[in-house]
Amino acid sequence: MSSARLANRRTNAIILAGLIAFSLLWLLPFVAVMSTALRSQGDLFSNGIFTWPKTFKWGNFVKAWVAGDFSIYFKNSLFVILVKVPLGIFLAALAAYPLAKIKFRFSQGIFLFFLIGLAVPVQVALQPLVVMMRELGLSNTLFALIPPYIAFGLPFQVLVLRGFFRMIPNELVEAARVDGASEATIFFKIMLPLSVPALAALCIIDMLATWNEFLLALVLISEKGSRTVPLGLMQFQGEHSSNYTLLMAGVLISIVPVLVIFLFLQRYFVTGLTAGAVKG
Amino acid sequence: MPELPIQPIALGKRPGSRRATLTPYLFIAPAMVFYLGFLVYPMLSSLYVSFFDWDGMSPLTEFIGLKNYTDALFYDEVTRLALVNNVFWTLGAMTIPTAIGLIMAMALNRGARGTLVFRTLFYAPSVLPLVAVGIIWSWMYNPNFGAINVILNAVGLNMFAGAWLSGYDTALPSAFITYAWGSVGFPMILYLAGLQSIPKEYYEASQIDGANTLQQFWHITLPGLRESHVIVLSLAVIGGFKVFDLIYTMTYGGPGRVTQVLGTWMYFQSFQYYHAGYGAALAWIIAGIVLLIAIPYIRHMSRD
Repeated sequence: MSSARLANRRTNAIILAGLIAFSLLWLLPFVAVMSTALRSQGDLFSNGIFTWPKTFKWGNFVKAWVAGDFSIYFKNSLFVILVKVPLGIFLAALAAYPLAKIKFRFSQGIFLFFLIGLAVPVQVALQPLVVMMRELGLSNTLFALIPPYIAFGLPFQVLVLRGFFRMIPNELVEAARVDGASEATIFFKIMLPLSVPALAALCIIDMLATWNEFLLALVLISEKGSRTVPLGLMQFQGEHSSNYTLLMAGVLISIVPVLVIFLFLQRYFVTGLTAGAVKG
Repeated sequence: MPELPIQPIALGKRPGSRRATLTPYLFIAPAMVFYLGFLVYPMLSSLYVSFFDWDGMSPLTEFIGLKNYTDALFYDEVTRLALVNNVFWTLGAMTIPTAIGLIMAMALNRGARGTLVFRTLFYAPSVLPLVAVGIIWSWMYNPNFGAINVILNAVGLNMFAGAWLSGYDTALPSAFITYAWGSVGFPMILYLAGLQSIPKEYYEASQIDGANTLQQFWHITLPGLRESHVIVLSLAVIGGFKVFDLIYTMTYGGPGRVTQVLGTWMYFQSFQYYHAGYGAALAWIIAGIVLLIAIPYIRHMSRD
């Protein structure tokens, strides 16, 4: 074996060792959560988290689910996602179509106007939104969350979809126009069906972002019945801050949905992230 | 399009006709309504409010000009501390997760076995709710039973085991480590995509010319990732000034106020102390900084 190949094999071994070391570090918090959630509090205090649980306390999850009222929070978060994600992405697609495929005077200006939103911190809208929702009579309802969630999601979605639409050949659109198709027909029959990968990626990214959003919900919702999962988890932590095993069971309950979605759909997820970042 | 009859009249229409000029705006209108109503309008409204002494509920009467801003920047010690914390946080966000993400991307780019597993694991923390991340790491940092102190004690480094999140010197760095854990995924994915677009021939040619690995990294890899750098660094800066969730869940700005950042201090002022005018000024300081820094990023994204 030549010395170059030997050196190469050694490099590969070092890199693999490095990756495994990093993996252990990255895995540690997950291990800590599971090891805590699966044992009894007494077991935790006397043996610590780095031991095999004496008995597996699967009941911790049931207790946490009930004590934390997670069913309310799950239902609320799901409702917001089911309304917000399709509606927001549909509106973004509608706006992205002319910005990508129709020549008109203010096209570039409007696109830039949407892009500025990428850098607007949500803090700057909080207080006026609270006042606005109070005046609209939507305080403490899930409907107070949906409009600002849509507005703050638009910049990224318009950016990604405009980039994707631009890659669809102009000839296709022109041919349809010559055949007399209206812009609406072109949008529904050509653009949307050809953009399914981008739409799917955006849906997944948006589902996760909506599930995780905290600050807007924190200021717009104070009643228990309308809390989303992050708010509910925060409340749960406040009530059980020293019942570590129950607390970690609750944490696991709240992250399992996003982990499952990510694990199974990460192919779309990664595509979407790169598409949004690398300019269209 | 068989379901639509061919319309000869439409064919004769020129692009400048009424229908052709209105159509794009009709498509954009619904999104624009939401964008204007729930992002632009609240944003401008808080700018207006920031010139008032206001508690967030009673009528707006006491116009005080720029006083909220001068108070924040020149008299409020906590704001100054928060600003310093944001700057450190941002510098950390630009360097630490970015460098780790780049190293991971380069290691994974060799296409060895297990790449997908590693990539999944390193990215997974980024999809979690930050509230959950904060609670998980508060448990990691628990002085008595947390994983970190248990490990330190086990390997004989007892003197380093401490109350991480309640120590004045350790609270902010501890929260930042949590942030880094959840933030290497994005730069890793972007750099991985960037690395794959650098032609292999560059490396082969430089090897023939006798370049070593370090020279290749410096003269081929880093410049080849230019576009990824712009995005990763811009988003790190934007995120660095917006940070809220982790501080709120892990330290609540404490101990004392040493971990206050602009995002949390603004929240406390507006929604805990009912200094809504002052809070709005703080929010606009964040927005001003972020928008200013984001200009190159936005220009980069809008270029065709």
